[in-house]
Amino acid sequence: MHDAAPDKPATASLEQLLLRDDMWLGHSQRFTGRTTLATGHALLDEQLLHQGWPLGTLIEVCQPGMQGEWLLLTPALLQVTGLIVLLNPPAIPFAQAFIQAGFDLDRLLVVDAAEKKHFIGCFTELARASVGAVLAWQPRENISYTELRKCLLSASDGTGLCVMFRPSAAQQQSSPARLRLFARLLTDGLEITLFKQTGYLQKQQPHPVLLPLPDHWKPAQAYAALDEKTAATPPDTAPQRLASVTPLRGQ
Amino acid sequence: MRSTSTHLWLAIRLPDLPLTAIKPDVMTTPVVIADKKRVVFANQSAQHAGVKLDMDITTAQLLSGCEILERDPPQEQQALHQLSEQFYHFTPYIDRYCSPTRAQSGLLLEISSCLQLFSGVAGIVHRITECLNQTPHEFLFGLAHSAKAAWLLSFAEHAITGEETRPEFLQRLNALPIDVLFDFPAARDSLTRMGFFTLGDIARQITHKSLRSFKKRLGQEFADALAELFDIDQDFSQSALFDKPRDIYRPDEWFEEAIHFEYPITLVDQLKPAFENLLNSLGNYLRKRQQQCHTIEWHMTDIYRRQAHMTVSSDLPQSQWQLLYDLTLIQFENKELPFEVDAIRLLCQDTLPIQSRNQILDLDQSRRRKVSSSDFAVTIAKLKARLGDAAVYKLSYHDSRVPELTQVFLALAEKSCQALPDMYKHSLRPSWLLKNPELIEERHQRLYWQGYLAPLVGPERIIGDWWREPVARDYYLAKRQDNVSLWIFFNLYDKQWYVQGVFS
Repeated sequence: MHDAAPDKPATASLEQLLLRDDMWLGHSQRFTGRTTLATGHALLDEQLLHQGWPLGTLIEVCQPGMQGEWLLLTPALLQVTGLIVLLNPPAIPFAQAFIQAGFDLDRLLVVDAAEKKHFIGCFTELARASVGAVLAWQPRENISYTELRKCLLSASDGTGLCVMFRPSAAQQQSSPARLRLFARLLTDGLEITLFKQTGYLQKQQPHPVLLPLPDHWKPAQAYAALDEKTAATPPDTAPQRLASVTPLRGQ
Repeated sequence: MRSTSTHLWLAIRLPDLPLTAIKPDVMTTPVVIADKKRVVFANQSAQHAGVKLDMDITTAQLLSGCEILERDPPQEQQALHQLSEQFYHFTPYIDRYCSPTRAQSGLLLEISSCLQLFSGVAGIVHRITECLNQTPHEFLFGLAHSAKAAWLLSFAEHAITGEETRPEFLQRLNALPIDVLFDFPAARDSLTRMGFFTLGDIARQITHKSLRSFKKRLGQEFADALAELFDIDQDFSQSALFDKPRDIYRPDEWFEEAIHFEYPITLVDQLKPAFENLLNSLGNYLRKRQQQCHTIEWHMTDIYRRQAHMTVSSDLPQSQWQLLYDLTLIQFENKELPFEVDAIRLLCQDTLPIQSRNQILDLDQSRRRKVSSSDFAVTIAKLKARLGDAAVYKLSYHDSRVPELTQVFLALAEKSCQALPDMYKHSLRPSWLLKNPELIEERHQRLYWQGYLAPLVGPERIIGDWWREPVARDYYLAKRQDNVSLWIFFNLYDKQWYVQGVFS
């Protein structure tokens, strides 16, 4: 009797699959209830689905080497209330810079996990522990789709901001991350290209956003420029006497 | 004087403990133990050469050419602890005595309740002597009606027969010179000035004038010591009610339990029920004693008596078994069993009382936060078990001029220092610091490190550490070809360029 309707269980499982929260259904309104965290960059917020970084999911940033991670995330991280965990960072975070930026060092935790199996294990543990933010840098070995999905599922168990930084070559690989973006530094700023947003149907080529560099990174004006500025100032109408000479009178 | 007290104290003084605690071997050459550059102990050869206590160590060395060792009080305490563990077989009332002024220490045993078991004082002293003969320590006995009197009589070296009576103890005490009261130097000097030369002089004075005159002149503490020494009932009419209770010695206690398997175990999965069972027992043990533990040890043996052990540590002390179980599985999951396991033993030696744990009283706000912080403690413990303690850390500022020395790594429980000096509050600092500064090449008269660099902002001169390894550097922000900003410096000593940080 059970063999008579072989299609029925399959249909049910498909429905179940479609009901899943992490299933991408193109331009779906299912994701409207999601909580987000303002990025602190107005231009970027405009392009993001709910005007901010999605929380409790995986965000993937593809970039060549060390680019502008902190430039991109510092405004959002300053709003985070829980712990901020840096998993497998590419170098040592410099305490002075973080104090200057306004981070509380007691909430900044560094976890070194250079091996891939440890990296995935630690990421899932941390994401599930509902820390404020997990910033993870992919180890040298490539991460497979299955492993990324594992990370995504653990991130959806938590409520924090989960960002994974991957090399630029990873842009060409498929990934289950809900938000994927490409970052690269240009002369006048950090260019961000959002090339995947689950639930947001892109009808045209993504338009990159340029985040300006901080003023103190900008170089001092060259000597030539300083000269130009001096030349541009209007000369005084009456030339001032620099010194006066009083002739000595002979007797 | 009181006659109701039936206590009998045996003092065991260990005069050479400062030496034997450090070097248990017999030494014939002159050896001196020093504390704060003064001699606190000299062995026979050194004493023959003229070394005296409280002598300057340079003088002692000139006199005897002796070897000088620094006193190690923790080692002495450890030796006393080991002896206490042995003497717990004879009596449960064991006190430790360490002189605050001289390097004299020993043990005080109350033996009145154990005399029948060991057939009298002579029997128990004989057994204790046998025990002490197996140790490297020299020892001297003193027997008396009170702990303090027994300690002082250990300086008189009377033979113990077991027939001694209270008047005899007092008589022996009376014969002692006043110098034995070296733990009260001010009182001893005053008494000498007043013409007291033996303890008998003091006893006579107390009999004629009572203890009050001593209390008035030499203080309450000294008067109390005299009262205990001569067993004087001070003011109470029912003295037995106010007897100082004897302290019961608490021997070391630890958890140890083993499971023997009926067949050899080859897979970690098969060990899981044993882990759970043993940890459950540990949980019960800790709960009953209101204790918690940091570290447990698993010892595995096979039928050929080969042994392997694994230590599992938790960042926070635990009184429940569940986290220890998880941590054990994490430790075992990456390793294969070294042999076919026949028996597994769980050992937990160091426990601490549960009362010392901090409790937050902030009721409404913290309840939710407390849950999440304890959850996170579990996560951290798991991460540490997986990666090692050094892999999980937080940063703290450390005051220094040299950038790489301005930060230290701390454990999670410690508090970070975040007080940045004003001069650095607006300085240009990169987010990432390379582990070690990397040398920049010069190619075609340009700087090259993974691309050509152009110094743009700077210099900021940093000079410091002149007393150790002098540092003089000019720091710049440089832009690489790919627009990455780097923190580079020109070392004024070796005239080389280095990259130290990355702005991101």
